[in-house]
Amino acid sequence: MQSQSATSTMPGFAVSPLAERGGLKARERRVGWLFLVPALVAFVLVIALPFVRALALAFTRNDLQTPVPRFVGLDNFVALARMPEIAQSFAVTAAYVVLVTAFTLLLGLAWALILNQPFRGQTLLRAASLIPWVLPSTVTAFIWGWIFNSRYGVLNAALVEMGVIPLPTAWLSTSFGAMVAIVMTKVWFSIPLFMSFFLAGLQSLDREQMDAARVDGAGNWALLRDHILPHLRPVLLVVVVLGVIGNLQHFDTIYALTGGGPVRATAVLSIEVYRRAFDQWDIGMASALGLLWVTTIMPAAYFYLRHLLKGV
Amino acid sequence: MTFSNQFQRSRRQLIALAGSGLASTLFPPTLLAQGNAMSFMSFSFAEEPNKPFVEKLLADFKASRGIGVEPIGSAWGEVQKNILLRQRSKTLPQAAQLQDRWLPAMAQLPEIVDLDALIGRAEIESALDPAVLGMARVAGKTLGVPIITGSVGMLANREVLAKAGVAKVPVTLDEFRAALIAVRDKVPNSVPFAMATKNPGSVPLDTLILVWAFGGRIIDDSGKVLVNSAEGRATLDFMAGLMKDRLIAPEIDRPDARRLFGQGAAAFYIDAPAARTFARSFSGRGEAADAFVLPIPSPVLKAGDRARSVEWGHVVSLFSSQPLAKDSPSAQWVRYLLSDPVQGSLPLQLGGLPATRSARAMPAVQGDAFLKAWAGAVGSTMKHEIGIWSNAPELSAILTEETQAAVLGQKSGAAAAASMQTRMDASMAKRT
Repeated sequence: MQSQSATSTMPGFAVSPLAERGGLKARERRVGWLFLVPALVAFVLVIALPFVRALALAFTRNDLQTPVPRFVGLDNFVALARMPEIAQSFAVTAAYVVLVTAFTLLLGLAWALILNQPFRGQTLLRAASLIPWVLPSTVTAFIWGWIFNSRYGVLNAALVEMGVIPLPTAWLSTSFGAMVAIVMTKVWFSIPLFMSFFLAGLQSLDREQMDAARVDGAGNWALLRDHILPHLRPVLLVVVVLGVIGNLQHFDTIYALTGGGPVRATAVLSIEVYRRAFDQWDIGMASALGLLWVTTIMPAAYFYLRHLLKGV
Repeated sequence: MTFSNQFQRSRRQLIALAGSGLASTLFPPTLLAQGNAMSFMSFSFAEEPNKPFVEKLLADFKASRGIGVEPIGSAWGEVQKNILLRQRSKTLPQAAQLQDRWLPAMAQLPEIVDLDALIGRAEIESALDPAVLGMARVAGKTLGVPIITGSVGMLANREVLAKAGVAKVPVTLDEFRAALIAVRDKVPNSVPFAMATKNPGSVPLDTLILVWAFGGRIIDDSGKVLVNSAEGRATLDFMAGLMKDRLIAPEIDRPDARRLFGQGAAAFYIDAPAARTFARSFSGRGEAADAFVLPIPSPVLKAGDRARSVEWGHVVSLFSSQPLAKDSPSAQWVRYLLSDPVQGSLPLQLGGLPATRSARAMPAVQGDAFLKAWAGAVGSTMKHEIGIWSNAPELSAILTEETQAAVLGQKSGAAAAASMQTRMDASMAKRT
């Protein structure tokens, strides 16, 4: 606007009567907004409105006996704070996220380093490594459910056959066994994704620098510590943050394998919200818990977004 | 024809096409064809052994009344969830097959139809005994028609008992335990008592029967929680002892128990009379399987005590947000389900007793040896102490968690009973 008025007063410069109001930049902005409208509408309808509605429901009593939501202020949050099982769910979630993220990171990196070496059949193995990631999560849960099953599971069969255990063990019925099972399942199908990130990062590693380090007498550990890991630092950051977010949200294989049990040993927050909402029909309490759950994801999401925007 | 006309015509066609697409999305065929068709959610339709019987029922209804019924299969454990989700999205089926004990929770839905108003109380009472009708009545309203009745009690596998050398059906809990030990020791890879230990949909039934056997109660008729009693604690200790001695197994749900029993890998389990149908299917022996399916009285604490079983039945409820006409497809469907041709065949096929007086008097029913044995074994049939409350889903979850904690050795019987009491008290207080 300012530039237009400035130029219009300058001798010898007249603004064409056909010129866009506000100039070309403003026109670009308007067109930009126009392109944005479909995505904005979809975002409002599919994400923002349900989120705001859930937010509002968190402050209401809405269960089978109160089908029409009734405002109760912070009562749901106070009740949740007083429930020892909710504190347990937070602890279970923290343990699950830490274990899965750590193991996936280590094994994904190790597998990427192996697949980065030149050997016969490397391409085939790289492709085959993606299979766990490609499988539907329900199929994955059934495979691992079959492995850990107490009566006909392959793990029991192998251990009994080898004389390691005298009788079949109900792995999914002990707190420790159930946690190990859900962690192993998630690690198993997350490794390919992490491995792909790392492998992509390794492709841009300077070979000459590595060769020079070798000539200087660097061993494998020194190469990893002083060259590879610093090079992969940006990838590591993204992978860890994405892993934490994904593991905080994870639901399907846990539900299919253990349903959150035995007792509450694997009742992570996603399972707890589901149980409150769809087993006990306490939508108000489920929404309040969902809100608390979202706040646990926020810090990781914030770091991820900040990293992304910095890149931009 | 000018380009402009052509364009206008194609634009009109395009709009018409989009409109019809939108209409078919917003109004699925079921709704558009509501005049002479209706939808029916059924868990029997989702069970492989029972599906053909439901299909025949629907085909016969169409042939006799000219009304098509679109079946919607839903696994037993998912029906409540599906109904409540459909209620929220305003896509309820016009009729649904429900377990009788779900009705108090379903009664909260504004769309559930009071059949006293639609069919008439007198007509319903003329067909059904008050005890049967009681299954479908909540707060003075008839919220469904019972189509199959019975009780949930104990079953023994004759062949497994014979293999274990158990000649006499156990009567007391001590005898029961001894029989289980014999099965464990003589029938390899078996689960002597396929007690439900996994799912909130099944665990409460088995726990209830055992609590009653010890002379206790979980919740009394007034809603007072009584589980933290000497009897309640003894029950949980008894169950924990069974697990410790490998007489029951973890990770068992009702469908698992049915398969184990049908395949000769379990000597006892708890189920409704429909057990016979499942045994026929899972044994692969058809009607020959009837020879090993033996209904027995549930074990009691001491000889002379009366065995207990849990009231059980399937009801069909109607849903509508508008008042229904007395000759609407839904009303005709309900009347058809209570007719003699249906009641004389469907309940027997599904493995239970008919609901109507006239069908119960039929020779086919009177002469059914299995049902006769069942009737002789049930003892006192009691109301489900958890299912009758509108907060039943929460109570079931609490009962299952605390029972699991005791059975898996995470808590003592006393600690689990105390925790169960506190949590159930809180749930019942919230209800009021």
